[in-house]
Amino acid sequence: MKLTETRGPDRGSMAVLFGCPSCGNEIAMLTNAMETQMVRSLGVKIGGRSSAAKPMEMLQDSLATPVTVEAAVVVDEEEEASVAEGSASKCPFTGMVEEAYAEPETFVHPTEKSSSASGSKCPFTGAVEEAVQKQTATPAEPIWTPEAEARIERIPAFVRPMVKKGVEQHAREKGYAEITADVMSEARGVFGM
Amino acid sequence: MKSYHDITSDGGSNVVGQITEQVDRLNARLSSVGHCIAIMSGKGGVGKSSVAVNLASILAASEFRVGIMDADLNGASIAKMTGVHGQKLQYGASGILPAVNVEGIKIMSIDLFLPDEKAPVMWDAPTQKDAFTWRAMVEMGAIREFLTDTEWGELDYLLIDLPPGTDKLPNLVDVLPRLSGTLIVTIPSKVSQFVVGKSIQMATDLLETPVIGLIENMYAFVDPVTGHEVPLYPTGHVDRLAETYDVPLLARIPFDPHLAEAGDEGYSYVSRHPASLATKAYNIISEQVQLFVRSSFVERSVDTGGNH
Repeated sequence: MKLTETRGPDRGSMAVLFGCPSCGNEIAMLTNAMETQMVRSLGVKIGGRSSAAKPMEMLQDSLATPVTVEAAVVVDEEEEASVAEGSASKCPFTGMVEEAYAEPETFVHPTEKSSSASGSKCPFTGAVEEAVQKQTATPAEPIWTPEAEARIERIPAFVRPMVKKGVEQHAREKGYAEITADVMSEARGVFGM
Repeated sequence: MKSYHDITSDGGSNVVGQITEQVDRLNARLSSVGHCIAIMSGKGGVGKSSVAVNLASILAASEFRVGIMDADLNGASIAKMTGVHGQKLQYGASGILPAVNVEGIKIMSIDLFLPDEKAPVMWDAPTQKDAFTWRAMVEMGAIREFLTDTEWGELDYLLIDLPPGTDKLPNLVDVLPRLSGTLIVTIPSKVSQFVVGKSIQMATDLLETPVIGLIENMYAFVDPVTGHEVPLYPTGHVDRLAETYDVPLLARIPFDPHLAEAGDEGYSYVSRHPASLATKAYNIISEQVQLFVRSSFVERSVDTGGNH
């Protein structure tokens, strides 16, 4: 399986979509805020660590307004760079996502493109900023026609928000300005709804 | 189709390896700490922190090297009570250097990470909705890091001030299996015995953690004019509690308004009131703790034939 897309973050959740290069089947890993917080609390990095954890890393990353711990010893530049690299992302999944984006010569990590110190404390920091940029670049939200709205109302309430998002995503990708019943049918074929 | 148990790799994350490394680091850090002692009570407001601060003070005055870890993240008071609140933390060579008070006691508390004394502990998250699902895990992670990443150095005693709740000791024991013993603080009220009894049961029967003994706090008011002790609650409940659970009652600490004043001002009560009845009780507790760790050492020596 190969990473094909990330979606989110959206209220603390994201989707990571993997596709099979040979058969084309796709599978999505969905996270929620609670699970992510649990992984953070363990102080581990999914995908493995490239450098040692800084002292009290989880605590300092998790406190909403921590004070700065001052450096008491002078470290050489190389070591400092290594520490900075290891603490750049608070996301426990960063390593895994970076690895999955397989082509280092073309892949530019979002944390390098825009400041990872942008204030966001989302644990998926780097990996999802790209997805955010994509969403930001989208010109306008597609409009639901009354017919399509009536149709989505017939879907059970507990899955309705997810389906709605999927259809909207499909419409955006296709560049549709309106979501009609036909667009819904089309999306249904794509997402297997 | 493979089941979960058929999966032999976690895709390179090596989560087990990372956890093992955390445990190794914790063990390495605490290898220079003689005795880790938890101060606990199922009940809140019984004076655990006051016991921790004053016991630490007496031990430090006896030339022992002492640290206090404030495990009460949501009700942290040790930094304030020891006068180190506001000290800036610094990185050392292998961790974060603890704050040190005028008596040389090393302190680590979440208060030292907060911007001011009014700031509550708020954990950053994409959403605070359903935070109950992960808050306890983050808190235990923080306690693990306090133990592991504080540069405690060589210590004879590390006192761990636990928050109220019967679940706190099992959580600590999960992180720190080599706890030397526990001091259980109670007040004379019946309600307190009801809750504290559960804590003792948890410590002795379920966790098999050594209980050093019970401390009865605020048992009486000492009349400043006559010097007579006036009981604040009906007496005898704590004796019965000790008897029921077969744990020693180490001392009874009388209530003294100066105790509260000392905590508020950030100095240890025992250092300013060496002749008081409360200080005498703290001295007894200190002696009992020392006796306990010495006898534990002898027991271990006998069990292992002198090989530790």
